[in-house]
Amino acid sequence: MTESAGELFDLGYKRYEGPREGRMRARKAVFTNGVRTTLGLGRSSSAKVLPIIFFVAVMAPAVVLALVASQASALDLPGHSDYYQSVSIMLLLFSAIIAPELLCPDRRTGVIGLYLVRPLTVTDYLAGRWLAFFSITLLLVYSGQVILLFGLTLSAESPGEYLQDNWLDIPRFFGAGFLIALFTTTLSLAISAFTTRKAYAAAFVIGIFIISSAVAGILTGCEEHNDGAGGGVGQCEPLTGDFAKWFGLIDVRGVTIHMSDLIFDVKSTPEGSGRIAVLHNIIPISTYEACLAG
Amino acid sequence: MPEGDCLPTGITASEFLTHMAQVSGLPPAHAKTRAADILRHVGLDEERYRSIGEYSSGMKQRVKLAQALAHDPVIVLLDEPTVGLDPGGREEMLELIRRTGREFGISIIVSTHLMGDVESTCERIIVLDEGRVKEAGDVSMYTKETQNIFIDVDDKRSELVTALLSRGIEATVEGSSIAVVLENEVQSDGIRDAIVEVDAQLRRMGPRRQQLADIFRDDQK
Repeated sequence: MTESAGELFDLGYKRYEGPREGRMRARKAVFTNGVRTTLGLGRSSSAKVLPIIFFVAVMAPAVVLALVASQASALDLPGHSDYYQSVSIMLLLFSAIIAPELLCPDRRTGVIGLYLVRPLTVTDYLAGRWLAFFSITLLLVYSGQVILLFGLTLSAESPGEYLQDNWLDIPRFFGAGFLIALFTTTLSLAISAFTTRKAYAAAFVIGIFIISSAVAGILTGCEEHNDGAGGGVGQCEPLTGDFAKWFGLIDVRGVTIHMSDLIFDVKSTPEGSGRIAVLHNIIPISTYEACLAG
Repeated sequence: MPEGDCLPTGITASEFLTHMAQVSGLPPAHAKTRAADILRHVGLDEERYRSIGEYSSGMKQRVKLAQALAHDPVIVLLDEPTVGLDPGGREEMLELIRRTGREFGISIIVSTHLMGDVESTCERIIVLDEGRVKEAGDVSMYTKETQNIFIDVDDKRSELVTALLSRGIEATVEGSSIAVVLENEVQSDGIRDAIVEVDAQLRRMGPRRQQLADIFRDDQK
């Protein structure tokens, strides 16, 4: 006869006697939750669809370029300096649509009240959310560049020589990606902080991109009826004359491209960021920094 | 535990509670265990992996209480914990609050306008009037038996009041009952005689307990 190995479990309420890590744990929790919210983790499958679409959309150009480079290495294909230009719209859409998810629902549903009765300040909360979204945006902008780097290096006849010749691209794309992520994250979260509705915040961010780009285009563009002879390249004068380069600064959509141009030391198309390029680098950089700080 | 909405809709109760326990300072592994424990104690064990958005009002109130208990506090403040609940849900919530105080050993402060909730769950009461303490003490002090006798009759209520007054017994109609202020034992016989005299059908007669709501009624007089 065998003895039964029964066990008794006390299912009554037990006081918590484990460690309490205070404010630092609270900050980490807000950051982790922000990352999970951004990626839709722990949420319904529909919440994961948009982040997946954006990741695919941002990485697709890098994968395509890497594949094409492996097949036709002799061609002069776009490289790291052009990558941010090709995905800038997607990055802006990503920040416009996903960023409100981190701030708006918490205030709309009243969860923010539960945060603030715990060892957490408003600054901790905002910093945690900002850092979470910034980290994911950074991951997004770097992944494509890293794929592109692998593709271009491996498709070169001599990978070692390629890296030796183009090593400067690596710190450049890290630097440009950092600034672009900093800008898109801060702008979209700052706008999201003004409303409790995700749709309004997203529409407002997208609206700012479109309107600022259009206004900058008008103020820095050529007059259509210039001399009645048409505005050929090199002949037309911008509507705002010498001030055109300054008005180029208000083009929010062009900021990401211009940041990339500054870091990679290349000249973009003659509109928007191209016009700003006339200014000394310190001017646009300080303007964007001032906007971000604000 | 706030009175209004404070719950996210797109995540499960388990995920929400684990997160809230971490925001209260608990390490992730402890927070997860603690969340599961608390959800079992508030009766949401089976439902913990469902989205909070699909919960009923009663279940949402339980989640609100659970998030307040997630980090095992010494004291919890509950603001109108039974608001928006049907009678069944309200009784369950009150029982949960009683258990929290009695079995979990957590002190509870309930802020409510529902005196019935206070009578059935609380030991002490503080009545505030425009921010100033108006009354304070044990709930039992405000709910003890009074010298008032309540008489419920099916008919002839006004005749019975007249008969009582003619015997020198102070009687008034309060709602569907007759309230009698008993000044001495002899008056009990007078009540009996008055009922017999008017031949009223007696349904109930007994001493009346004070109610917390009387504190406010006295103020209005």
